[in-house]
Amino acid sequence: MTQPPIVEARHVSRVFPMAAAPVTALSDVSIRIEAGEYVAVVGPSGCGKSTLLHILGCVDVPTSGDVLVQDRNVGSLSDAERSRLRLREIGFVFQRFFLLPMLTAWENVELPQAEAGVARLDRRRRTAELLEYVGLASRAAHRPSELSGGEMQRVAIARALANRPRLLLADEPTGELDQRTGGHIITLLDRLHEDGTAVVVVTHDVAVAACAHRLLTMRDGQIVEGSS
Amino acid sequence: MRRTRIWALVAMALSAAVALTAASAAQPIEAGEAPGVLVSRQLMESRALGIGDLVRLSADPTGGRSRTFRILGAYEPTPDPMRFAQPALEARLHLPDLLALSGNPSDPSASDTVSSINVALVNPADADAFARDVSTRLPGTVARPTSAPDDRAGTFLVIERFHLAIASVTMLGSAVFLLALMMMLVDERSDVVGTLRLIGFTRRRILMQVLAEGTCIAAVGTAFGIGFALIMQGAFNRFFQWRYDTALVFLRITPGVVAQSILLALPLGIAASAIASWTLLRRHPLALVRR
Repeated sequence: MTQPPIVEARHVSRVFPMAAAPVTALSDVSIRIEAGEYVAVVGPSGCGKSTLLHILGCVDVPTSGDVLVQDRNVGSLSDAERSRLRLREIGFVFQRFFLLPMLTAWENVELPQAEAGVARLDRRRRTAELLEYVGLASRAAHRPSELSGGEMQRVAIARALANRPRLLLADEPTGELDQRTGGHIITLLDRLHEDGTAVVVVTHDVAVAACAHRLLTMRDGQIVEGSS
Repeated sequence: MRRTRIWALVAMALSAAVALTAASAAQPIEAGEAPGVLVSRQLMESRALGIGDLVRLSADPTGGRSRTFRILGAYEPTPDPMRFAQPALEARLHLPDLLALSGNPSDPSASDTVSSINVALVNPADADAFARDVSTRLPGTVARPTSAPDDRAGTFLVIERFHLAIASVTMLGSAVFLLALMMMLVDERSDVVGTLRLIGFTRRRILMQVLAEGTCIAAVGTAFGIGFALIMQGAFNRFFQWRYDTALVFLRITPGVVAQSILLALPLGIAASAIASWTLLRRHPLALVRR
C-alpha cells in the first residue's frame, strides 16, 4: 500500500493584499514531500521560499489551492486545529531561533511536550534524550542569553523535535551562524534525516543545499527547477 | 422611663466656660456643697484643671450670674464633624443645674425653658420608644434619636456624592491607564506570543494563560491598594486627630469600600489583560515575531 505524502501542496497561490498593490508570493505551486525525504528549497530573496515553507507548515494558509498534511486538507481546519497540527506533526526551525528567553534550554524543549499533554516522566526522558542528541546536555540549565548562536539553534532543533514530528521545516537554519557552527547544524539535519524525519530546508547556503536529496529552485513565486 | 443619669450639654456656653474658668483662678471660690460637673478633656487640658477642682460657670460671656461647680470627671466629647475645627471646650451639667445657670431670672418660666437637651439612655435601643413617649407626653417637643437622619445629614450626602463622582472619574482614568499599561506590557511580549503560536499553542490557550496572569496581577494590585488605603487611613486619621485634637474619624475604609474596590479592580484588571492580549492574538504569528 502506498503511504500518503507527509505534506502535499496542490496548485497553491498566496497573494498578500498590500496598500499599493497585491503581492503574489506564490503562484500555482504544487509539491509533495514524502516520508523521510530531505528537500532543499533555494532561490533569490523574495522568490516565495519562506512563504511556501509557512504554508507547508500550516503557519499560513494559501489564497487558493489545497494543502494536505497526511491527507487532511488544511484549508478545512480551524485555527486551533492548525495549531494542534503544528504542535504534534510539524517541527519548525527558524533563522532567528525564536527561543523563549525566560526559559532554560531544558524548559524550551519541554514546553511543546507539556502543551501536547505528554506525561511528566516521559517529558523528562525525551528532553534529556533530545539535548543529548543535539550535544547540549551540559547546557540544559542555561537560558538562551547564555548560549551561543549555534547552541541556540541546536536547542531550537531539539524543541522542534520534541513531539516526534514526521516533518521538520527549517527556514535559513544557518543564516545567523558562522561557517563552522553552521556546519554543525548541517550535520545535525543530516542525522535527523537519517533517523527517518522528513526535512525541508529553505536556504541560501550551498553547503546545506548540497546535503539534500532533492533540490527545488524557486523564482517569482514558482518552482522553476527540480521535481515538485 | 429608664433614666439613671441625665447630663446636659452646655452647647451655648463654650466661650463662657472658658471665661469663667479663667475667672476662677483670679477670684476665691467658696467651698461647700458645689454641684458636680463633667468637663471635656480638652477643657481640662487647656485650663490645667483637675478632678475635685472648683470652677465657676456662667451662661453669660461676661461672666455674670456665675455658679460654682466641682469637677467630678472628664469626658471625651462625641466628635461632631460639623465642628471639628473648633476646640471642644465643653462641660456637662445636671439638668436642674443647667436650667438654673442658663435661665433668665426675670422670666418666671425661664427655669422651665431649654432649647435642646441630649439624653443618654441606659439602653440605646429604647431611643425610638423614648422619643415617642416624650412626644406623646410633651406635645410640641421634638424628640428624635441621634442616630436618626437630621438636616445635617444632607451635607454629608452631598459630600458623599461628590466623593463618588471623584472616585468614578479616578476609576475611569485608572482603567484607561491600566489598559494602556497592559497594552504596552503585552506588546513587549509579542515575540513570546508569536513563538508560542508558531510552536502550536492555540489562541485560546494563550489567552487563558494571560487571563490567569492578569487575574493574579489584579488580585495583588487590589490587595496592595487596600493595604495602602488602610495604612493611609491610619496616618490620615492620626494626623488630623492630632491637628484638631478630636476623636473624630476622618477616613474609614469600611468593608463596603473594600468590597467595592475588589468588585471594580478585579474585573477591570482582567478585562484590561483580555483586551490587550486579544489585540495581540488577532495578529498573525509571523507578524508578531518579525517586529
